[in-house]
Amino acid sequence: MIRMENVTKVYKGEVLALQNASCEVQRGEFVFLVGPSGSGKSTFMRLLNKEEKPDRGRIYVAGKDIGALPSWKVPFLRRNIGCVFQDFKLLPNKTVVQNVAFALEVIGRPRSVIKEKVPAILELVGLSKKMHNYPDELSGGEQQRVSIARAFVNRPLILLADEPTGNLDPNTSLGIMTLLDRINRTGTTVVMATHDRSIVDKMRRRVVELDRGQIVRDQSRGVYE
Amino acid sequence: MSLKLDYVLRETASNFRRNITLTLATVITVTISLTLLGAALLFGDAVDNATVRWKDGVEFIVFMDPEISPELEEDIRRQLEDAPEVSGFTYIDKDEAFAEVQDLLGDSPELVEVITPERLPASFRVKPTDTLPERVDELAAAFRTQPGVARVVTASETIRAIEDLSSGLRQRVIIIAIVLLVAAAVLILNTIRMALFSRRRDIEVMKLVGATNWFIRVPFMFEGLIQGLIGGVIAIPLIWLTNNFFSVINDDVSLELLRGFTVDPSRVWALGFQMVGLGAIVGTVGSGIAVSRFLDT
Repeated sequence: MIRMENVTKVYKGEVLALQNASCEVQRGEFVFLVGPSGSGKSTFMRLLNKEEKPDRGRIYVAGKDIGALPSWKVPFLRRNIGCVFQDFKLLPNKTVVQNVAFALEVIGRPRSVIKEKVPAILELVGLSKKMHNYPDELSGGEQQRVSIARAFVNRPLILLADEPTGNLDPNTSLGIMTLLDRINRTGTTVVMATHDRSIVDKMRRRVVELDRGQIVRDQSRGVYE
Repeated sequence: MSLKLDYVLRETASNFRRNITLTLATVITVTISLTLLGAALLFGDAVDNATVRWKDGVEFIVFMDPEISPELEEDIRRQLEDAPEVSGFTYIDKDEAFAEVQDLLGDSPELVEVITPERLPASFRVKPTDTLPERVDELAAAFRTQPGVARVVTASETIRAIEDLSSGLRQRVIIIAIVLLVAAAVLILNTIRMALFSRRRDIEVMKLVGATNWFIRVPFMFEGLIQGLIGGVIAIPLIWLTNNFFSVINDDVSLELLRGFTVDPSRVWALGFQMVGLGAIVGTVGSGIAVSRFLDT
């Protein structure tokens, strides 16, 4: 599903974010990306949906070399990749249901599809009762569920989660992990960057460790360290 | 993928609400610059119409009696040829005079119908060697008393002043109008950038979930289009006002010389709609450029 071949990314000619990284992720895998801040986790994710371009190396997503993708096709790549962030990135002036619907609306999905899919996905993330609330009326955990609903409503092949539990307490984090696990079980490939040792140790999934831009460990059913 | 009209309308309406003062400023600038440009072009047309007979150094015109005999006409021609004060002249026959009138009144067929070539006088347009007004008047007076001459019309200083004014003023007004039009485009650009800035999170999310650049761009371009259209539509009555001002000049200077210092109504309308179109183009292109800067990856 994802293949990186000798990828190097340097910011502004001096900050080495990724160095000769090679990695392959199969369809339906769940991968933790661990490592200290600045080790290149976020760059890894940003390269996958072409928010950044590698300086060297090739990246394949769903069998396609995304380096060869013309810029007008990038939006269509992104429709196959859901993204979840530490800071949720919800639109404050839209309700929960509008936030999720927006993701379908702007890719031109018909209204009938939106009407059917949005309530279903909110049911899945457990927010049916707060559909018409605004993000600032929700707890952090609930906001992250909305953001996951938005990322997953279009049934992407891949879900990228960049420290999705970074702002949440341990209990809430567990709830989010359960949700991501359920999504993974539907066949969606999940790549999650995290600092959260207890979660990684508990889940026992594949762990890819980055250090100063290099992949220093790749272990299936691994632990944080 | 289809762009939905209701989506575009909703987005545009919300952008207008959020940036009402900036939108107003943009519309006003568009209006002013289009009005000025339109007025300048109109002015140029009016001057052209008023001075069509006075081109290339023609200082006076000898109109002959419509029923003049060929011998008398030949006589006047010979006198013009022989006069040392005359450097050159052109003969305008009845048909040419008719064609000119048709040009001038082309859009008022009811007037053209009344006029026939037979009823129009043939004329000589005379270029004297000395263009000093007193000398021109002297020379013109000499022809005024000739048999077969209906009347002699000299280019007054008014005409000359208008002609001089026309080239200078027209150029300046057009330059000012173009500068303003550029200012309007920059303002539209700025409005859209402010709108984009206040909606940068929305755009970030749109890009994240895979909205195409055109999908993001179109509501903003539509906004620019509306601003340009409104500015242009407001400019139409203002251009008409300018036109009415011309007819005031026309009536005030009750000189035959200035007859024709008007512009046909259909030409004013056409100009108005051209200005609306120009406003729409400037608005759409301006906002398109503004958004593209935001979208370039």
